[in-house]
Amino acid sequence: MPNRADLLQGTLDLLVLKALLLGPLHGWAISKRLRALSSDVLNVGQGSLYPALYRLEDEGWISAEWGISAEGRRAKIYTITALGKKRLTAERSAWRLFSAAVDQVLHAS
Amino acid sequence: MPNFRARIARRLRALFRAEAVDHELNDEIRLHVDLEADELVRTEGLPPDEARRRALASFGGVERYREEHRDARGVRWIEQRGQDIRYAVRGLRNRPGFAIGVIVTLALGIGANAAMFSIVDRLLFRAPPFMHDASRSHRVVLTSTFRGRINQGTSAPYARFVDLTQNTHSFERTALFVENSLAVGVGADAREMQVGVVTSGFFGFFDATPVLGRYFTAAEDAPPRGSPVAVLSYGMWQTQYGGRRDVVGQQVQIGSTLYTIIGVAPKHFAGLWPETPPAAFVPASVFAAEQWAGLGQHGDWSKTYALYWADMIVERKPGVTVAQASADLTQAFVQSYRIDLAARPRQPPVDIAKPHAIAASILSERGPTESSLAKVATWIGGVALIVWLIACANVANLLLARALQRRREIAVRLALGVTRGRLAGQLLTESLILAVLGGVSGVLLAQWGGAVLRTEFLSKTSTASVVNDPRALIFAGAAALLAGLLTGLAPLAQTRRMNLNRDLKEGAREGTYQRSGLRSALLVVQGMLSVVLLVGAGLFVRSLRHVRAVPLGYQPEHVLLVERNMRGVALDSASSVALIRSLDAKAGTIPGVEHVSRQLTMPFWNTSTATGIRVRGVDGIDSVPGSFDMNAVSPDYFATMGTRIIAGRGIGIQDAAGAPPVMVVNESMAKALWPHASAIGQCVLGGGNPPVCTTVVGVSEDIKDNSLSDHAGYYILRPAEQVQPDHGGLFVRVQGDPDAMLEPVRKALQAVMPGASYVTVTPIRDIIGDQTQAWELGASMFVIFGALALLLAAIGLYSVIAFNVGQRMHEIGVRVALGAGRRDIVGHVVTGGLKLAAAGVILGVAVSLGGSHWIEPLLFQESSHDPVIFGVVAAVLLVVAALASFIPARRAARVDPMRALRAE
Repeated sequence: MPNRADLLQGTLDLLVLKALLLGPLHGWAISKRLRALSSDVLNVGQGSLYPALYRLEDEGWISAEWGISAEGRRAKIYTITALGKKRLTAERSAWRLFSAAVDQVLHAS
Repeated sequence: MPNFRARIARRLRALFRAEAVDHELNDEIRLHVDLEADELVRTEGLPPDEARRRALASFGGVERYREEHRDARGVRWIEQRGQDIRYAVRGLRNRPGFAIGVIVTLALGIGANAAMFSIVDRLLFRAPPFMHDASRSHRVVLTSTFRGRINQGTSAPYARFVDLTQNTHSFERTALFVENSLAVGVGADAREMQVGVVTSGFFGFFDATPVLGRYFTAAEDAPPRGSPVAVLSYGMWQTQYGGRRDVVGQQVQIGSTLYTIIGVAPKHFAGLWPETPPAAFVPASVFAAEQWAGLGQHGDWSKTYALYWADMIVERKPGVTVAQASADLTQAFVQSYRIDLAARPRQPPVDIAKPHAIAASILSERGPTESSLAKVATWIGGVALIVWLIACANVANLLLARALQRRREIAVRLALGVTRGRLAGQLLTESLILAVLGGVSGVLLAQWGGAVLRTEFLSKTSTASVVNDPRALIFAGAAALLAGLLTGLAPLAQTRRMNLNRDLKEGAREGTYQRSGLRSALLVVQGMLSVVLLVGAGLFVRSLRHVRAVPLGYQPEHVLLVERNMRGVALDSASSVALIRSLDAKAGTIPGVEHVSRQLTMPFWNTSTATGIRVRGVDGIDSVPGSFDMNAVSPDYFATMGTRIIAGRGIGIQDAAGAPPVMVVNESMAKALWPHASAIGQCVLGGGNPPVCTTVVGVSEDIKDNSLSDHAGYYILRPAEQVQPDHGGLFVRVQGDPDAMLEPVRKALQAVMPGASYVTVTPIRDIIGDQTQAWELGASMFVIFGALALLLAAIGLYSVIAFNVGQRMHEIGVRVALGAGRRDIVGHVVTGGLKLAAAGVILGVAVSLGGSHWIEPLLFQESSHDPVIFGVVAAVLLVVAALASFIPARRAARVDPMRALRAE
């Protein structure tokens, strides 16, 4: 199971955006969803999640609002913005290109 | 970019509402941990306490994430700077003497520069406000050669302006302009104000829409007599008319003409006179017609080439170069000169006169030949820069000394893991804070002390101020910032060389003394720069002494000039003669008045009043180089002005209107015309047909008439009763302070004046003072800045030597213990200071000698290699250096060897 440090630079942003594409979530739920989506392979370091959220908000890719969580508690709930969706598309193609390239190198004989 | 704006808002919130943001973050983390714990309870059945512990553990160090979060907020950098600033301020507050010393040093350096910059900028760089395109606008300078002398001037007759406008193709627009001091208003409210006299095209040079009404049109400015319409300045509109909108259509008396107000110019619009803003603008043709009539002339003033009265401005078409514009103007000037020549054939032909025109800078001080005032201002600007450099060197030295003292503190902080970058930031913050404080104090200093400079360099009515001058403020800010960076570099360099281990081990012990080449170099540079400035000061002071020693041929200190302004009161010749006689008589009765004389002109008015003179037996008097100036005076003239008669007699009472015409000539003229004979009794033929013989009855000493540095001109004094008895005013010699006599003399004479006419009274010292102004300024500024430089250099030397001695207490203690006497110690320390000073003197003398050819043209009868000055300056610097090192040296000599050694 790769740990936090093993997440490639920028990958966390991509994952967070993808998680939020499926619907607005608060911080803990984002980490839960990422773990679930990756079948427990990706365990996002919780401490680095919050700085990442702040950064994404700063970029305008996600927006945050205080509201009531599914658990019935006051929570800061994050939503992906139109800008964020665009960003996700771009990041996704970049990621595909990158992983295909790494794959190609690894399969070279 | 709304996104950008939102980001800024978030950053600001994070910075200023940091607690609220931290609070939110805490809430978020708490929720996270709570939910994680809840889940652990639910899924793994852990007890709540244990679940909470595990949740916290899996989150990791909360503090660390908070830090990371703060980093992500992007405010970290600012927060750190805030810390640095607080740290630096605390450090400076602990050493107030040091801080004040540095701030004052920088304030002097920056203030001197801000003040000089605002002056040089106004004199030489800043276009008048609203100028449409200053880079394409030019004043026209006309030159021609007469009697072997090149006459250069900006003043032109209207007919020439018309020729130059019609016969050129390079210009979009042309205009004539002149500023005159005229009485505005009537009765008791009448005051002399500056009035802009301009042709209608003048306003096209500016993008300045009237705030009310309009400017005048070409039709309203058509010669021979345009329409009496006036445009008020904004200031005049506000102060005299209370800003009322119904001012348009009202009438205002300016000079002897009643004008109808047709508009109000925008705020700060001052035409080409930013230093002396006019109260109103009137059409050139109306003003000229009035003046023409006032001179008792007939015919069309606009057709004459004889009346030089206004300057010309042109705006080049795009694509036309300055050289092309000058060439175009020159060919039109030559054409115009030919027309003039046809009407007045006595003038030299074209190939001798060589009429030439120059499209010169819009700023008159830049002229085709820079004025001596502008030259001096530029020089002093350079001098101010040197003072700034000395201040920087000084402050760098002080900061360096401080950094050395704090070596241990810095070593500790490095050991505690403060990065060198962060440390550099802190040191730089400190020097920048000092620079900013120095800059602010400097601007205040410039505002206060600069007021004196500005009235010297710019007009006395100038509204210039450093605080209200954005350009000067930006300059001062840049000077402060640069000073902060430069002075911060020295201690930075020091920290790079630090040896952590050694410095920590040595601790606060003062025993180790480090020689610093950098600091000695800074001292030598200071000494060198001081020598350069002091040499400059010496040269200027000597020049000023030479200027003051120039024999003027009169003693101006106690003489007042009385001028009449008839302001439309028309007198025939006989009444005019009567008026001047009664003024003369009245002036003689005023208590405190010693002598009174009539005058037609005044030295330094540059009026050539005697033309067409011929002398029997002297062929081609036209070939005698130089111009002949004439003044019409009364018998008391020589006593009034203090001009000596060398031979023959002066003007007497017997030289009345009907008596045989006589004249007194000056020595130079007598020698030039009658080199081998006595001038007395000679006959000079004046104008008139048949020519009248005027007998020379006396020879006076030479009179400095047009320039202090020129050789004496030819001067003729004639009895006013015989020459233009209906023109001119008076010279009045008073006892005591001439300024105190201004008002009594004016009041007494004003009582004699008819109608709205009035007299003005000016000390002639003020008029001649303009001639010596550049030297006075140069001398006083160089002396002030030179003294400042010397003071700074002395402080620098003193503080460095004092610091060195402090560092070497241990070593000195050892020396004393080994038997060195006090005298030896003092000698040792003082010699060290003198060596540095001597190096500075040698370099400074070399630099001064190398650069002397630049300053030579500014000097008056003074060699830039004057050995006396160099000797005095070197001696002064060495004495100051000896004193600056003697004080710490004596302290060193008093060191008790036991205490110094035990202090280890």
